[in-house]
Amino acid sequence: MEATYNYKVVRQFAIMTVVWGIVGMLVGVILSAQLIWPALTEALGPLAPYLSYGRIRPLHTNAVIFAFGGCALFATSLYIVQRTCQTRLLSDGLASFVFWGWQLVIVLAAVSLPLGVTSGKEYAELEWPIDLLIAVVWVAYAVLFLGTIVIRKTQHIYVANWFFGAFIITIAVLHIVNSAQLPWILGGDASSWWKSYSAYAGVHDAMVQWWYGHNAVGFFLTTAFLGMMYYFVPKQAGRPIFSYRLSIVHFWALNFIYMWAGPHHLLYTALPDWAQSLGMVFSLMLIAPSWGGMMNGIMTLSGAWHKLRTDPILKFLITALSFYGMSTFEGPMMSVKTVNALSHYTEWTVGHVHSGALGWVAMISIGSLYYLIPRLFGREEMWSTRLINVHFWWSTIGVVLYIAALWIAGVAQGLMWRATNADGTLTYSFAQSVNAMYPFYGIRLIGGAMFFAGMLLMAYNVWKTVAAGRAVNDARIPQAVAA
Amino acid sequence: MDILYLLIPLSLVFVAFIAVVFLWAVRSGQFEDMEGPAHRILLDEDIPPSSEESTQTKKTSDNAH
Amino acid sequence: MSAPPDPERCFHCGEPVPTGSHYRIVYQGVAKSACCLGCEAVAQTIIDSGNADYYRLRTDLPKTPEAALEELKNLKLYDLPEVQSSFVRSEGELREASLILEGIVCAACVWLNERHLHQLPGVLSADINFSTRRARVRWDDTRIHLSDILKSIQDIGYLAHPFDPGRQEELFRKERETAIRRLAIAGLGMMQVMMYAVPEYLAGEGEMGMDIEALMRFASLILTTPVVFYSAWPFFQTAWRDLKARRVGMDVPVALGVGAAYVASIYGTFTGSSEVYFDAVVMFVFFLLTGRFLEMSARKSSAEAAETLIKLIPAAARRLPAFPASREEEMVGAVKLAAGDYVLVGPGDSFPADGEVVDGRSSVDESLLTGESMPVIKHPASPVIGGSLNLESPVVVRVDKVGPDTVLSGIVRLLDRALAEKPRLAQIADRVAAWFVLALLLVATLVAGVWYLVEPGRAFWITVSVLVVTCPCALALATPAALTAALGRLTRLGLLSTRGHALETLARATDFVFDKTGTLTTGQFSLLDADIRRGGRAQALALARALEQGATHPVAAALREAAGEEDSAPALMAEQLRYTPGRGIAGEIQGRAYRLGAPEFVGAAPPPARFPPGRTVVGLADDAGVLAWFALGDAPRPQARQLIADLKRLGVRLHLYSGDRAENVRALARELGIEDARGEMLPADKLSAVRALQAGGAIVAMTGDGVNDAPVLAQAQVSIAVDQGAEAAQAAADMVLLSSEIGRLADGVRLARKAQVVIRQNLAWSASYNALAVPAAALGHVTPWMAGIGMSLSSLLVVLNAMRLSRISKP
Repeated sequence: MEATYNYKVVRQFAIMTVVWGIVGMLVGVILSAQLIWPALTEALGPLAPYLSYGRIRPLHTNAVIFAFGGCALFATSLYIVQRTCQTRLLSDGLASFVFWGWQLVIVLAAVSLPLGVTSGKEYAELEWPIDLLIAVVWVAYAVLFLGTIVIRKTQHIYVANWFFGAFIITIAVLHIVNSAQLPWILGGDASSWWKSYSAYAGVHDAMVQWWYGHNAVGFFLTTAFLGMMYYFVPKQAGRPIFSYRLSIVHFWALNFIYMWAGPHHLLYTALPDWAQSLGMVFSLMLIAPSWGGMMNGIMTLSGAWHKLRTDPILKFLITALSFYGMSTFEGPMMSVKTVNALSHYTEWTVGHVHSGALGWVAMISIGSLYYLIPRLFGREEMWSTRLINVHFWWSTIGVVLYIAALWIAGVAQGLMWRATNADGTLTYSFAQSVNAMYPFYGIRLIGGAMFFAGMLLMAYNVWKTVAAGRAVNDARIPQAVAA
Repeated sequence: MDILYLLIPLSLVFVAFIAVVFLWAVRSGQFEDMEGPAHRILLDEDIPPSSEESTQTKKTSDNAH
Repeated sequence: MSAPPDPERCFHCGEPVPTGSHYRIVYQGVAKSACCLGCEAVAQTIIDSGNADYYRLRTDLPKTPEAALEELKNLKLYDLPEVQSSFVRSEGELREASLILEGIVCAACVWLNERHLHQLPGVLSADINFSTRRARVRWDDTRIHLSDILKSIQDIGYLAHPFDPGRQEELFRKERETAIRRLAIAGLGMMQVMMYAVPEYLAGEGEMGMDIEALMRFASLILTTPVVFYSAWPFFQTAWRDLKARRVGMDVPVALGVGAAYVASIYGTFTGSSEVYFDAVVMFVFFLLTGRFLEMSARKSSAEAAETLIKLIPAAARRLPAFPASREEEMVGAVKLAAGDYVLVGPGDSFPADGEVVDGRSSVDESLLTGESMPVIKHPASPVIGGSLNLESPVVVRVDKVGPDTVLSGIVRLLDRALAEKPRLAQIADRVAAWFVLALLLVATLVAGVWYLVEPGRAFWITVSVLVVTCPCALALATPAALTAALGRLTRLGLLSTRGHALETLARATDFVFDKTGTLTTGQFSLLDADIRRGGRAQALALARALEQGATHPVAAALREAAGEEDSAPALMAEQLRYTPGRGIAGEIQGRAYRLGAPEFVGAAPPPARFPPGRTVVGLADDAGVLAWFALGDAPRPQARQLIADLKRLGVRLHLYSGDRAENVRALARELGIEDARGEMLPADKLSAVRALQAGGAIVAMTGDGVNDAPVLAQAQVSIAVDQGAEAAQAAADMVLLSSEIGRLADGVRLARKAQVVIRQNLAWSASYNALAVPAAALGHVTPWMAGIGMSLSSLLVVLNAMRLSRISKP
């Protein structure tokens, strides 16, 4: 029998990426509408509490990061590791388990968060039973991915796999350390058996939480998606990465420095001043490897810039890299204490996050999926390239509207909060600053809705592609074992 | 800042781990060829072959066996 | 102006397809044209083995494959155990060998070769390194033999031969690996120790608890220890060696600085009293290692030139044990050959040793050894160089020299000598560095003493700062780094420096003296002019070639070569050849009688006005009289005119000193544009002329080729021997031009001058850096970690500046 790749799990995750992307972004659109019309969901009567802002806000972050982003990463990493190692996944059973386990986690999150079951830690809101499930699924994923590397048929391990490998191992450690908690049930309180206390207290909890929160962003939303970038940008451009050597240096430098910039999330808090400054110093140092990686990706196109004009998939990938460059510049700037004094707690932070989340994470994922899906379903290309192009422009305009609005809003907010009269009293009340946000919230809603609408286009395009194609279950492994 | 009593030893373990991984990478020759891998992924053909081509490759691979 | 219509291109190699070619390649059901049988066969093999995608993936066109370059019979040599012993590792029936692949032009070639090898039954693995064009193949010897593997690589148009990676290359690989390891440990340690150190700098007085501070210090200590004892170990070793030899090298202060800072920081960690500087230690070590790593990379690229030369010798040879009585062959390893053996070298094979042709004639490609791009004609009594490639037909060669006595080994040794012998400037820098280190140690002691009296608490760390900041690495690296980079570049240009000072002197040379014959001229007979009386030039040359077909004298070779260059000359056969030694040759072609030879032999006088004196004139005649006159002589080298113009532009004075007749010398000088031309000079005359120039303050660069030039080559401040010159000339010369492209000489001068500029920049930089840094450090304005950065950056700058030299594409 001829050796083949396991495309099934890749296909499952790829389709679910689109599905969860639509769900997560829809929740985001509802949230941004709620900011303008706070009573929007009140009309739903008994359902209203479950859709209140405080309940669905973590649903939005979890859905876009772990459901949409997570599925995109599973799909691409499991595809890339097979193709670059020229071997089938370690185990089909394990692959199935990872897929269904992860979907279960997502469904449980989608149920528990609106019910108000939360540990209150950002990006780690899920309660301990789900945390345990995540840990099991993640370890299975680690075994599946790293095991496939171990049984590889090639001598070299392609750099994208290094990025994915670092992401998998680090997320495992981050998740386990940060989720250390004591379930109430151990104290004999069975009434709320799912509740727990964090194992850390006070400022320690904040420190661990933001060490986690920062590195979740670093390794989940940066390192892993760079792995995606290092495979799909060269493949779609048909050119080798600008400098392979630089990509290796990029890998080691980025991962090493990223670890320690965490405290910048806690500037002007109870954290000791020196720890805050440390976070600032390493955040600034991060610019170097981040921009090195961005240049490496973009310069891959040098000599073939014309491809950008005609290839919307490449447009997605390269625009994603540009947003990556922008937000990795903006981030360190915001970690400078004086800037942070203005920006902290304002909409600017939200804008910054979305320039990374929509501009970088979502766009690189969307580009990669457009590359991947035809290949998984036996087609040469997507059903409609024109539709991809439309999707690209809607997304780009949406992101730009979104971040521009929130940037202005954030600066205005910060200035209003700190404005004082000659006698030292505050010039504006808090409600006045909220009132000033309305027009910007409106623009943000439009931008977000455009991005969301783009996802619907994608879903239609994917549907047509899948319907016209056939699932490829038997992609041959080239030059596998010498006969 | 007692948490540092956990985080700093943890960081030492991490550095040791990274060092081990890096040294393994050097020993297993991961850094010997700094050009080939970039080209190699491009040559991995992943567009599904049309039916005509696939029979042709099948035939030749039969010959090779 | 309209471009001529594009000729049809070969589907495989892209060369124009000759009209009427019937070679076809069937690709995706469509027949495409091929230019030759080789392309047709190779392309068909590629397509039939299911690798037709190669044609879609490739980004560059391959060379035209030479049909059946090496017969399978020759490849079988590589299956012999005694031949394999030097390059094959075996475990039972599992074998592994490293192959050099020739013909790799783009990534698709690597892809194709790997796939093709994997498809061979019995091949277990095949990995090709794209950067070095080396393949590592493992196979099961019960199912496939090495010769089959090599043959199948040939089938798809590439050439593979095994090589012994156990030589220098393997050493370099190990050295590089160790260096990366040391660098990585230092880099990791540096980043992490900085993480622990930065808070201390950031925290205000008493802001960070003592316990946390102690925790961070212990963590730093744990990380710094492997950096000091593993990464920095070479510095301690060298310093210890230096001290034992009662020298003070530049590693002495490094070791002192690192050691003192480390030990004192440990003390600080345990007592909690004074400051600790683990961060400075690791940073210092990391940057030093970075500088050394870059320098090592530059050195490796220079030595690679020598490596490629060694690999030219084939692994096995076909010995004829009973020659000339019998032509029975036997296969032996090339290492087993001895002087006096007869070997048969087929077309496409490399000569296994130096020797002399005793039977057969052929042309030989010596380009890899000499850079000479034209094939060289070989006939009985012609010398051949081991490692050069036989192109045309089989020849029997008597082995004269083997192993270390061969030309190849000689070149490698010359190169080694240049790399080992330290240039004068570098020696000066070393001596200066030694004094500098001594002075530095004194200053450090003085600083320590003074500060101990003024403020004992700061004395120690200020002394460490002085030691670190003044580390003379930049000074010691300034010259060698630039020289290594420039020498490597020069060797790649085909100009081999055999003595260290050559580069420096070449840059300063004011007067260039040239020998004529064999230096500015080719030193070989060639057809310079032809006076055609009847019929066409092509016809006349064709007749001459037919008559001279079997002759060996220079005139015959020159005429044959000239006829070979004229494509339109039809091939004719001469019969009943009668050779009159020293006069000419007579014979019949297509029933007509022809004579070719000296004027008196063909029975007519040449036109006196047409040919200047000094030319050898031969006539071609039939029964009805003279058909053509040919003038033969020694032609100027193709690049001579360009070289002279280039050198004039570089502002040097030019002289032409020759033993040839004065009128010939003056004619050449006029043609090339050299003012000072003297002929009929004996070696002693040349010597005194050069001495006279030197007495006038000139720095003379002498270029020559013959044994007669050896004394004057030695007298000149810098001398260049031209390719294939006498060995005595090469031994006396400071540089050897490996190719016939004398234009390289001007490139060499330009590069040498650039190298001097770079060296001066480097020295100036390190001197001014020290002038600023030492007082600042001695006055206590520099902390150890600042000192570490300052020193490292200055060394790094010096190395990077030097590496510009190896990047210059056209000096």
